[in-house]
Amino acid sequence: MEATLAEQQRILASDWGGGKSPFGVPWSKFMMWIFIISDALTFVGFLVMYGFMRNISPTWPHQTEIFNMGLITFMTFALISSSAVMAMAVGAAKAGDPKSAVRFLGLTIVGGLIFLGCQVYEWSHFIHEGAAPWYNPWNPAIPQFTASFFVITGFHGFHVLSGVTILAVVAARAAMGKYSADGVENAGLYWHFVDVVWVLVFAFFYLL
Amino acid sequence: MAHSAAHHPTGYKQYFVIWVVLLVMTGAALGVGYAPISESLKAFLLVGTTLAKILVIAAYFMHLRFERMNLVVLTFSPIVLALIMFFFTYGETTGSATHELLVRPAGAIADVAPPAH
Repeated sequence: MEATLAEQQRILASDWGGGKSPFGVPWSKFMMWIFIISDALTFVGFLVMYGFMRNISPTWPHQTEIFNMGLITFMTFALISSSAVMAMAVGAAKAGDPKSAVRFLGLTIVGGLIFLGCQVYEWSHFIHEGAAPWYNPWNPAIPQFTASFFVITGFHGFHVLSGVTILAVVAARAAMGKYSADGVENAGLYWHFVDVVWVLVFAFFYLL
Repeated sequence: MAHSAAHHPTGYKQYFVIWVVLLVMTGAALGVGYAPISESLKAFLLVGTTLAKILVIAAYFMHLRFERMNLVVLTFSPIVLALIMFFFTYGETTGSATHELLVRPAGAIADVAPPAH
């Protein structure tokens, strides 16, 4: 009986026995990671679909002739910069400096809004030229191009919009004194994920 | 390794340096995109710079370098699944059957009307 009790206590004290996370992170952070992984799988599906579409197409438009690469590079700059200040917001929150955290969160939101503004401009420009998910005005034989463009950038843009909303809520709560360093860090993980997805879209859709 | 994310030494200065590194990598990717090189070499170099950027963001901005290895491995599983999915479907794109199925023949283009404004 003594041995059984000792064994039970050993298991309870181990990483898998409950009370401790085997991944060494708080549960909310682990749940955010699980969400990010599942969301990443969605984008994996989209990007593999895009690769498939592109490989079956006899031709593919030269992106530099269709996209305003200066604008796209600026959008990338805005998102990477907002990711950097987001990391600083998390650092400030963990250091117990909510005032700096709110300031950095504000800058992150500004970066996200600049990105969204540029995307709205790009989309409206394309739609004005007759582009639609089912119609490619530059080469009607390859509707896969505009279909991939609207689905991938649309889904990513929706993530940016969600991220800006989440960050606004986190910033407002921090400004009101309802301060949680873990909350800021979890929102930051999501924002960096949105940045990672854009890095992939920028390379494979706009540059390749 | 003990969990130490709450008091790791990453400061503002380091984040600034990482930001500069990411911008330089973006510039490199842009240079590769415009370089007069073969498509396969371009794809190889772009995959390389993109993976390097993702690693830097994950390691420093997402603090994965301070996390346990089991969490790190878990977070990189989508990339492995992406490779499996890509190479499973890649073979399909080399045949002519899917090609004819999914790409509209030249005669059918006239049927596609531009969207009404």
